[in-house]
Amino acid sequence: MTMLKVAIVGCGKIADSHASQIQRIPGCEIVGTCDREELMAKQLAERFHVKRFYDSLDALLRQGRPDVVHITTPPQSHFEIGRQCLEAGCHIYVEKPFAIDATETEKLIALAERAGLRLTVGTDEQFSEVARRMRRLVDDGYLGGLPVHIESIWCYDLGDGAYTKALLGEKQHWARTLPGGLLHNTISHGMAKIAEYLPGESPQVIAYGFVSPFLKRLGENEIIDELRVILQGEGGTTAYFTFSSQMRPSLHEFRLYGPKNGLEFDEDQQWLIKLRGNRYKSYAEKFLPQTSFAKQYWGSFFRNARLFLARDFHMNSGKKHLIEAFYRSITEGAPVPIPYREIRMTSRIMDAIFTQIGGKTSCLLGSEASGNV
Amino acid sequence: MGIIGFFERGSVTEVDRIVAFEDRILVTGAAGFLGTHVVCSLLNMGFRRIRCLARSTGNLAGLKKEIDSRGGHDRVEVVIGNLLSREDCSELAKDVPLIYHLAAGTGTKAFSDAFLNSVVTTRNLLDAALEHKCLRRFVNISSFAVYTNRNKSRRRLLDETCPVENHPESRAEAYCYGKVKQDELVIDYGQKHAMPYVIVRPGSVYGPGKDFIPGRVGIDSFGLYLHFGGSNLIPFTHVDNCAEAIVLAGLTAGIEGEVFNVVDDDLPSSRRYLRLYKKNVRSFKSIYVPHAFSYLFCYLWEKYSDWSHGQLPPVYARREWSATWKKTYFSNRKIKDMVGWKPAVPTSEGLQRYFESCRKG
Repeated sequence: MTMLKVAIVGCGKIADSHASQIQRIPGCEIVGTCDREELMAKQLAERFHVKRFYDSLDALLRQGRPDVVHITTPPQSHFEIGRQCLEAGCHIYVEKPFAIDATETEKLIALAERAGLRLTVGTDEQFSEVARRMRRLVDDGYLGGLPVHIESIWCYDLGDGAYTKALLGEKQHWARTLPGGLLHNTISHGMAKIAEYLPGESPQVIAYGFVSPFLKRLGENEIIDELRVILQGEGGTTAYFTFSSQMRPSLHEFRLYGPKNGLEFDEDQQWLIKLRGNRYKSYAEKFLPQTSFAKQYWGSFFRNARLFLARDFHMNSGKKHLIEAFYRSITEGAPVPIPYREIRMTSRIMDAIFTQIGGKTSCLLGSEASGNV
Repeated sequence: MGIIGFFERGSVTEVDRIVAFEDRILVTGAAGFLGTHVVCSLLNMGFRRIRCLARSTGNLAGLKKEIDSRGGHDRVEVVIGNLLSREDCSELAKDVPLIYHLAAGTGTKAFSDAFLNSVVTTRNLLDAALEHKCLRRFVNISSFAVYTNRNKSRRRLLDETCPVENHPESRAEAYCYGKVKQDELVIDYGQKHAMPYVIVRPGSVYGPGKDFIPGRVGIDSFGLYLHFGGSNLIPFTHVDNCAEAIVLAGLTAGIEGEVFNVVDDDLPSSRRYLRLYKKNVRSFKSIYVPHAFSYLFCYLWEKYSDWSHGQLPPVYARREWSATWKKTYFSNRKIKDMVGWKPAVPTSEGLQRYFESCRKG
């Protein structure tokens, strides 16, 4: 079996989780790390026992000749690096957000398709254990038809971490210079889940964003950290998206409601609950559903314990599954793990949100604020 | 702050000093806990041209307050900058013969962040200092975290002759990794470019304004405080004492290339410290875990981490145990002998002041 040669471009924090997950996958080898700052490329190579490191993308592509390049640089550079890699004949795994806007996204996808190469985006939460289980249930028809309504809650605890301090303190922080600011770097995971199940290509989007009272108290009036979005896709399917830095618990939950049944999972606690559409008669509805929920929660507990004991419950297991599926699409010709329709839709929805809330601390709901994407 | 000026202490005479009062001195990380005290110490000693580098995210108000309380606003220049910028470094190092480099990547669990903010920043600063060709000493602030505390020639004693971690990446402590690599870089520059440097490794720096229980005492990761330290000594150094040691290590002539550990005298045991903390600051439940059990715990955790390919990160491993919870004695003999430093704040008084500030919040 031929080893898949992998390279990592951008050797910051997120590159560590790529390197550690890639090294858990048989049949591939990291052949080089690359960063404009040579010391950073070197430290990643040293820690993960990679033989070569580079401070130029050209040198990596020419000398390392990787089959796949993982792009883990800040989003502003994704398009240009992705373009160079595709032109050099490499498949690309691009960290989220995929690109700055839908235009760049379209261009990269078109380039890959023309060159017969594969690409994917790092919305790896779509491949966690519970997300995969939900996908299987939906494929088996558990919802009873197309989703009627979707809810995605994606919270981000600002806390007092280094990232937040840097973000608040440095006006030139790379995340602040993105068109959507903090939101641009954080909402992709929650939005990509909606894009997976929302039919069509061009949903209607109504967005409302504002600076939380918490940030205002800290003297911050530019970073929008609270966002509510209403979407409507083809066939009338609707979705709510909630992003909050302040609500507690700080949830990462996803709910799908079909014409017959519903499904709900929690990303942090890794449980998935089936929500049955039928009701029991009379007082039975007040008592029996609870026993069903209790049974399902216990089921999740034992499933998680079993996976943990089987050494398959790593914090980044979604990333490993996504990378594996992507590599299979390259080596075995399997479908790409994230269809390009979803990558496009996520970018378009994000563009629409940032257009509506951009440059303002809040945005009024109304027909003039909504639009098809 | 209770700093005793160095003329009063008489530890470094004008003849022994490598810089004059009019020379420019750069302090990086000046708005940090220790950095602010180093600036105060320099002001107390009478230096007139102190350039402070602070990040926009640092405690600037605290630094300015301390400077103003010493009437030092016309002797101190506070520069907001970023050592990741070579341009900022070049500006900062201009006409500076003495650099106290305290800025570092702290408080991160990410190795790359620790490396970026400790090593890349230091490289930029060293390059800038070399470019201006006026550097007489680079004082690199390191940490006790760099010592392996294993396979030492004198089993229980930790001093400057002890080996540094040769595989800091396996310590699962990003700060340790960053600091080991930073020290290596400074030593490398010293050898390749004949750059004069001194490395100062403080123990556990404590003092008013920093409410914490050192990891050497124990951990509270599992909802209950597990006291691992027992009778082990904690290598405390009061922030005033430590700041003065750092300043003197920068000023004293004839100590190029030396490494100095900084710990105070009369160190408390972990058990005593925990008792005093509970009595003076806040009460909580803790369970003492004997050393044999804490070692076994770390051993099992490490084995499981290996077996599961990192499903549990190796945060508790034998290397970590040796560095943190192994019974160890500490020496401050070298810095006392070569630099003439003496801890001005006795440990009993330092702890008293510290607990008082913790109570006030």
